[in-house]
Amino acid sequence: MTVYQPIGPESDSGHRFDPARRWAAWLDLRFAQRPSGRGPVTQLVRNAHDGPLRVQRPFHPEGPNGCCHVYLLHPPGGLVSGDALTYHTTVETGAHALVTTPAAAKLYQTDSHGVAWTQHADLHVEPGATLEWLPQETLAFNGSRGTQSTRIDLADGARCLGWEMLALGRPASDLPFVTGRLEQRFHLTRNGQPLWIERQTLDPHHRRFRGAWGQGGATVQATLWAVGLEDDRAAIEALREAMPASGRWAVTQRQGVLLLRYIGDDRNEAWDLCEQAWTILRPQLTGQTARRPRIWST
Amino acid sequence: MATATTTDVTDLSLLGLMQLVSPALPIGAFAWSQGLESAFELGWVNNETELGEWLGGVLEDGLGRCELPVLARLQRAWAEGDAETVEHWNGWLRAVRETRELSEEDRYLGSALVRLLRQLELLPETLPAMPGYVTMFAWAAHVRAVPERQTLIGFGWAWLENQLAVACKALPLGHTAAQRLIEQQRPELVRIVDRALALEDDDLGPILPGLALASAQHETQYSRLFRS
Repeated sequence: MTVYQPIGPESDSGHRFDPARRWAAWLDLRFAQRPSGRGPVTQLVRNAHDGPLRVQRPFHPEGPNGCCHVYLLHPPGGLVSGDALTYHTTVETGAHALVTTPAAAKLYQTDSHGVAWTQHADLHVEPGATLEWLPQETLAFNGSRGTQSTRIDLADGARCLGWEMLALGRPASDLPFVTGRLEQRFHLTRNGQPLWIERQTLDPHHRRFRGAWGQGGATVQATLWAVGLEDDRAAIEALREAMPASGRWAVTQRQGVLLLRYIGDDRNEAWDLCEQAWTILRPQLTGQTARRPRIWST
Repeated sequence: MATATTTDVTDLSLLGLMQLVSPALPIGAFAWSQGLESAFELGWVNNETELGEWLGGVLEDGLGRCELPVLARLQRAWAEGDAETVEHWNGWLRAVRETRELSEEDRYLGSALVRLLRQLELLPETLPAMPGYVTMFAWAAHVRAVPERQTLIGFGWAWLENQLAVACKALPLGHTAAQRLIEQQRPELVRIVDRALALEDDDLGPILPGLALASAQHETQYSRLFRS
């Protein structure tokens, strides 16, 4: 019998294959606005890491005064038992950063000890700053076990748009997600006040996984958030007008947080919806048109 | 005045609870469907059996892991005069509301209950910012000296009756079928209350994705009987 062992901070880091298995990695990014001959530019002013997490170099594909793009690289390409990844990102006053990944992240089946992985993003956005957090989707293989959490702390006048897309199992190989347990958490505050707290548990053995009130047996889900829009209602109207209505997605707004949710079975449908929503929301949020990061097409 | 450790229901506190959970309480709870009207429209709930599954699921995962355990925490905080804890859980509930519909229902019912309690001269000296329905329900149960466990049972009962009233109007569900569903959910409610009283803070509040989607869809439903 395998016993689930929580990963405690006291565990040793390093390669081992017993229940105390743990391989931690972190990345600490800081973006700041710096003066230049052609006006203020957002630069990556801190790029620290430990373990297999990297940012190679920042780009300015929208021009030198535009937003700073970075790609998060996790060379192993997926999470296995014991992995503990942490992304710290701070966007300083007035700066603008867009963070994405070069490929889908994979969550592999747990080891024989049932050791979980964790993935945590800690995002701070200072006054008047903007963060776009647009990772490619996560693919959870059958038997994967872990927790993914996103914490967003906003200051006054800070803006943030982000998404998480999750696909369960490998439908193309007929390997559905029938065992394992994933937990996805969101915690968004402004000046310390919680505006959006969400916790989703995905356990194929729980009736929530099949029930219509719960996951409804869906294998793909996406959540997009946008905070700091001047006119939430107009933004929602624009989304509803432009995007094809269906019973698989809906958009709402509460406490100044716009939330778009998709529950279905089609990764491309989820991606297209989120990308289209980003294209519509970005000019309203930042005054800049959305220009598709080239890495999404490779 | 009651404390959180009261376990005996007196005649007066029982009557106080019945008054609080009565559909005649003038706070307008009947106007909201919590995504259920939309679940009918989407074809997710079409008959008595499917409604029983929906209600059982929402009771276990929604109420049982969110409103009910937080209601107990709030009533205890009111009894102990712990304004900071009342503020914390009131704000937490606002932050976990998945949609505008669910958020506004809580806010409207909370304000309506504040107005009513003011007219009955039963308001506390200080209220948290934007007190929601659960927060004010906890206060009303506290001033009526209702034991914690019965407060949770009463809250769950009011929810169940209200959801069945929605189904009777919008599905439509027959009145006898509604009573059959009450028979089915009654023991479940007791079981869920037992569990709700034992949950740790970290176990609270999983989202119900289907209910959240249905509730957000309700905002644009073409023809609807209930508010959004």
